[in-house]
This record gives sequence, structure tokens and C-alpha cells, in this order.
Amino acid sequence: MVDSVLRPAGGKVAPGGPEATVQLIVFQLAGEDYGVRIEQVREVTVTPEVARMPKTPAFIKGIINLRGDIIAVIDLEERFGLVPAGRPLPAHSYTVAVEAAEYTIGLAVRDVPRPMRISAAAIEAAPEFLQDSGQRERYLEGIAKLPDNSVIIVLDMRKLLMASEILRLPN
Amino acid sequence: MNAREQEYRELFMAEALEYYDGMGRHLSVLERSPTDVPALNELFRLMHNLKSNARAMGHAAIGEVAHSLETIFGLIREQQRAFAGALVPVVFTGLDELGTMIRAVGASQPLPDAAVLLENLARVARGEEPVQPAAAVPTAPDTPSEEDTRKLELSDLVYIQVRKLDKLLNLVGELVIDRDRLLTLAEEIGHPALQATARHLFRISDDLQYSVMDVRLVGVGVLLNKFPRVVRDVAAAEGKEAELTLSGQDVQIDRNVLQMITDGLLHLVRNGVSHGLETPDQREAAGKPRVGQLRLSALTERDDVLIEVADDGPGIDTEAVRRKAVERGLTTAALAAGLDEQAVWAFLFEPGFSTAAQVTDISGRGVGLDVVKRALDSLGGQLRISSVRGQGTSFTLVLPTSIAVKGALLVELDGRPYAVPLLHTDTVLALRPEEFSVAAGLLLAHVQGQAVPVVPLRDLLHAEGSEPLPTADKTQLHGPQQVLVVNYNNRRLGLLVDQFIRQQSIVIKPLSKPLDTIDLFGGVTLLGSGQVCLVLDVPALTRLFVARRA
Amino acid sequence: MNKRILIVDDSFYMRTMLKNMLTDAGYEVVGEAANGQQALEMAAATNPDLITLDVILPDNTGLDVLRGLRQQTPAAKVVMCSAVGQEVIVSEAIENGALAYIVKPFSEERVLEIVGSALRGDAA
Repeated sequence: MVDSVLRPAGGKVAPGGPEATVQLIVFQLAGEDYGVRIEQVREVTVTPEVARMPKTPAFIKGIINLRGDIIAVIDLEERFGLVPAGRPLPAHSYTVAVEAAEYTIGLAVRDVPRPMRISAAAIEAAPEFLQDSGQRERYLEGIAKLPDNSVIIVLDMRKLLMASEILRLPN
Repeated sequence: MNAREQEYRELFMAEALEYYDGMGRHLSVLERSPTDVPALNELFRLMHNLKSNARAMGHAAIGEVAHSLETIFGLIREQQRAFAGALVPVVFTGLDELGTMIRAVGASQPLPDAAVLLENLARVARGEEPVQPAAAVPTAPDTPSEEDTRKLELSDLVYIQVRKLDKLLNLVGELVIDRDRLLTLAEEIGHPALQATARHLFRISDDLQYSVMDVRLVGVGVLLNKFPRVVRDVAAAEGKEAELTLSGQDVQIDRNVLQMITDGLLHLVRNGVSHGLETPDQREAAGKPRVGQLRLSALTERDDVLIEVADDGPGIDTEAVRRKAVERGLTTAALAAGLDEQAVWAFLFEPGFSTAAQVTDISGRGVGLDVVKRALDSLGGQLRISSVRGQGTSFTLVLPTSIAVKGALLVELDGRPYAVPLLHTDTVLALRPEEFSVAAGLLLAHVQGQAVPVVPLRDLLHAEGSEPLPTADKTQLHGPQQVLVVNYNNRRLGLLVDQFIRQQSIVIKPLSKPLDTIDLFGGVTLLGSGQVCLVLDVPALTRLFVARRA
Repeated sequence: MNKRILIVDDSFYMRTMLKNMLTDAGYEVVGEAANGQQALEMAAATNPDLITLDVILPDNTGLDVLRGLRQQTPAAKVVMCSAVGQEVIVSEAIENGALAYIVKPFSEERVLEIVGSALRGDAA
């Protein structure tokens, strides 16, 4: 079940020849679609048991055992200030394990993340109006506009995963 | 050298050393049984491979010697020659020489001249007597002694495999944990055959664990041998003259223990040159030789490995350290005055401490000697300091030979398990509220005639910012209280927990970024069920308690 | 589709070098075997277009393995690898169905030339 989440998306290649495309893993945060480039995703899994970690900010939900590696799981909705801090994770959630050069971190999301292939040209630089949400804006790569006029906010994990950025840990 | 050449070189070295070891083994079989066909086949094959690989790497001389030996083993196999008489010492000399050559390649040194050996090998292959006693075959004078370089090259081999060894050790650790559970279950069920099997599994996995730990041992020399260069560079940058003496390179230690103290040792050695030694002029004025002596030595003491960094410099200025500790706010003037010199010297290893009047490029910047203390704490090691004014200072790192599986006590707090390494646990107590007393806002338990401060573990784990811990209040205690007394640096501290779960062996995994900055946790361990369990760091908990106590 | 090659050699160093050369040239290395037993098993499992076979192996001689391979996977072309001085074995190998041989130490050009012509079917 878990593995099927990462099934390659078929039939999404735009007509008109070999256009550069980008494959995203798309998930919802507070009702909006967010995407992460698939190269930055290590795996998508049903969130295993989360061990709460004292001494960490509330948006860090704790640590999980991901095939023998211990990684932190964060709630981006809280991190981005989209919901009040300190909510427990629901009994059933998914974790998108994303990686950058330095480490792997889990993004807890409520609904099943889905793969999607879009045209690279569809990703536009983040518009100014998005600066209302300071935390989120600095992690944006851009906004992808789909043919049906919906949008996906594309996050750049390499920015998100700067240790000092994401965590202002005590000590 | 590009990456691929480097890879070929490493593979060549790893295989050549493996072949060389194998040859030695098979040759000793041949010594006992000179016509042993499997041994001859293997010698022939290994020589053949060494020859091919050496030629491909451009080491023609190794290829030549291996080719000659391959020919001889072929002749013996075909019973045209016998492994007897003058041929035997020539073959042994040939093998020794191959070893020397392989090590010379590993150390990037010129290969010794093998002309005499080749001549002798050719002669014995033809059934003639060697030109001179085989034992007199000279080796190049600048070839390093066998023991020195062997360790260095073995380390290359181990280095390639360390990730795999880590995995193996982790798996063994988890096996040991499951084994313990199985043994407990077998006892509970009480089935004799199951119990016998579980006990057998116990012994086997114990052997396995020690075997894996043994494989991970490397000579301390792999690290120590890097220091002559470090000392030369630091001395040059600081206008010092220093001579480094190494000893104990053969002492065996777990490769990862060595890795963990690498940075700390580097700081100690740099510090030894930049603070531990005077300038040549100062030394002369003090009646010492201009060249300062630095000694880096390793030795085994019971289950520990001791690595000592010693200099013959001015010694620690205890009063300067005492003053600085007060200036830095590490202690109060009143307290500092009462500390003995050992306690004062310990400040050198506190974060941010530096007594260097002059900030130099080498040792005045970045992390200080506190990295030494941190590495030692996480390894469960110790630091010994001795210093005599005018004569020198010695720092000794006391390290475990191996860090595989640690004993730990599992405790429960708010429904979550936490592991406390047995190294730091003292005793466990169940006390009624009236058995505690309160003094100066602290809850005290009375253990063996000593008043031990007690703090709810919950308060320590959730202490925010720099606020003091809540003042102790006995009326908050209801029913029997579970107290875990921990011990760090002869300081005892009682931790109130919800309950004790059990004692068990754990394998500690380090916390990965970005959570590795939280020093209260020494790492995590996976319990038999796959459940994640945080490992408490007693030194950090103790420091936190001291800093925040009400 | 890329031609698929199985490398049989008991030296990891040699296998790595051959694998790099062949992979760089666009061949697909479908397996590496370190002894005769593995060679036969992997040849059966991977059905390669070509096998490079070292003449001296730990469990069998290369010749026994060659005979086994010819019987078991006759479609796979076999190129022997040997060091100088094994000419006798090599000629026996050719008689037993090996197409060509590479002499160690080998140059990249020579390896590719021999493998290429063996795969095309012309003798080297």
C-alpha cells in the first residue's frame, strides 16, 4: 500500500513533443496543494510510531524509525503558521521523507501524497502576494500553474532543511 | 590521482594484502605437508592474481617476483621440483619481500631492489642452488619497519568496510536485544527445549558480538601517524620548535572510538604545541633545550585504551586558569578559591574556555578543548590531567576499547521509555513522600548516609529557556516515588520517574541532524519491538540540573 | 539494446577494472562472478550475450567452467582472460569454444576491440 503511493504518474506528459517536465510529490497543507520535487523525496510512508522529543519546538512532532534510520518528523502546517501550534498528529497520517545534503527529515501530512508530472515551464517564481506568510515564503521555489488553473506551491527542500532555519533549538 | 585511480589503488592494496595473508597461510600448510595439492593450487592462483593486478597497476617489480614464485609453485605442483632444501628459504624470502613491496606501495615509497631475489628464484626454479644464503637478501634501507606500515595499510582495508561493519554491529546489537527478550519469554513459558535453545542462542550471539567487535579493531597508529605532519605545521606557524615522539601505534581499538576522538586529539596536540610549548628563546632562558618535546603514546590498561599527549613545556598556570574561570562566569570567586588544582584544570575543557593571551590561527579559534570532553562523555571515557610547573603537562584520554552494546536501565516517563546507560546509574529507590526532606528549595533523598538532590525527570526534560527549576514541594508527591540515582563525576543526582521498566543491552545510534544539538540525549536506541527510545545523557542532565536548580 | 556481459574473475580489482571499461563503452554488465560455481549460476540466471572468463579460478580451472558454460548457455560468447604465459591453456580454451582471449595486463582499447569483434561474430 505504501509503495503504491510512489507509482509513476502516467499520461501527464504535455502534448507537443519532448518538453522538460518535473515530477512532484504533491500533498495538502491547510487545504492548499504543495509539491516537492521527487529528487528531493526519499520515500513516502504511513507514519510509524512517533516518539515525542522533549526540548524541541512544538512543530517537531518527534522522531521515527525509518528503516533503521532515526529521523525527525515535522508538521509544516504548524511551521508555516497555517494552524495553531501544538496539535497532536492524527492517528493515521503519512510521512514524506525528504532529503538534502545534510540530513533526511519527515513531513507529516494528513492525506495520501500523490505523484504528479508537470511542465517545468509551469513553475513561476513566487509572486509577491505570497509574502504574507513569512515562514513559508522563504522555502518556496515557485508556484506551478496547472492547465485547470489550480496551483501547486513548490517547496525547495534544500532551503527548508537548513538546520538553523528549521529549528531554533535550545542549547 | 583521479577518483577511479584512487579506487583501483585501494582495491589493489586491499586485495594484495589479502593475497599476501593467504599466501602465508598456505605456505605454512606446505611446510607441514610439502605436496599438499589444494595449498599449491591456492598459492599458484594467488600469485597469479597478484602478478596480474600488480602489472595492471604498473608495479612491474611485484609482478616479476610474483611471476617467479608462481612458476615455482607450478613446478612443485607438477612434481618437477620439491618444496624442500634450499628452495624453501628462498620461497619464504620471496614472500617476505612481496609483503615489503606491497607495503611500500601502500606507503607510496619506492620498492626495494629485488635483483638478488629474482636471481635466486630463477636458480631454484631451474633446480640450482641460490647464489647466496637467502636470508642475506638485503632490503632497502629506507623501507619502514614491517610493523609500522602493516597497521597503516590494514586501516585502508578496514576503512573501506567500516560502513558495512557498522551495519553488522547494529544488527548484532539488535539481535542481542531480541535474544534477551526471547530468553525472558522462554523462562516465562517454561518449556525446557525452548529454554535450552534460547540459552544456546545466547552463547552463540555472545560469540558473534565479540567476533564483530574484534573485527572492528584497528591499530591506534592509523591515527597517531597523522600527527607528525600536524605538529610540524603548527610549530612552523607559531615559531616553535617541536619534536614529536610516537609510541604504542599497535594498541588495538575500535575504529569508531578512534574516529570519535580524532577531533579532540587534534585539538590536544595543537594545543600542546601552541600553549604547551614555549618559544625556543623562552625555553633557552628557562634552561631547557630549544626544541620542545611532545609525546603521543597509546597503551592498553585492562579493557581501556589510554592515549596520552604530553609536553615538556611550562605546565598549567593553575592560578591563571582559576581567575579565567571566574571571569568567564564558570564559577564564583568564592567557590573557585576552594577548588583543588585538578578541579581547576577541568575548566580547560569547558566550552568557550581559553587562557591564551594571544589568539593564534591554530588554537585560538573555533571549538576548543571542550570537544575532547564531549567526545569522552559520549564514549563513556575519562580524562586525566597531570601538570608540573616548569616541567610539562600530560593529558590522558581513557577510552573504551570498543563501543558496541551498552547496558542500560529503561525507565518510563509520561508513557514513553527512556534508556539510562548503566555506566552512570548508581541505585534505584522506591521512597514514600515522608522519606524525602526539603532544603534550600531542593528535594533531598537520603542514600547511604548521603543527602542526594532529587528532581523530577519531567522538570529537567521540559525546562525551558534559562528559568530555574520549580522549587521542590513535598506535598506534590503522592504515593511511593521511583527514584533513579545517577552518578557523574562523583556527583549524585536522583531522578523521579514514573516506573522502572527493565535493564537491557542497547545499541546507541547517534541522533542525526538537526536534532543532534540537543545534548540531553546521547542518542536513540530501537527496542526489540522497533519502538524508538531516547537515551538520556547523564552528564548533560547533571549539568542542566546544576545550572537551573532553584 | 545494449549487449549484456557477465564478468568472471576471482580478483575484485580485475572485475572492477573490466566492469568500468565495459560500462564506460556502453555495455551492460549484468553480473560479476568470483568462481566457477557462481559463473555457471549467474550465466544461467542472466543469459548474457558475452562472458569474460578468467583462466584460473579458485574452485575449477577456467577450462572446466568454459566447458560447463558452452553446454549450459551455448548462446553466450566467451572471451578468455589470461596472463602472459598461459598460452597452452588459451589454445585449449579456443578449441573448447572460446572465441578470443585477452591477455592481462590489458589496455582498454584492446579489451573493447576484442569484446566488440567477439560480439559481432568475427574472430579476433
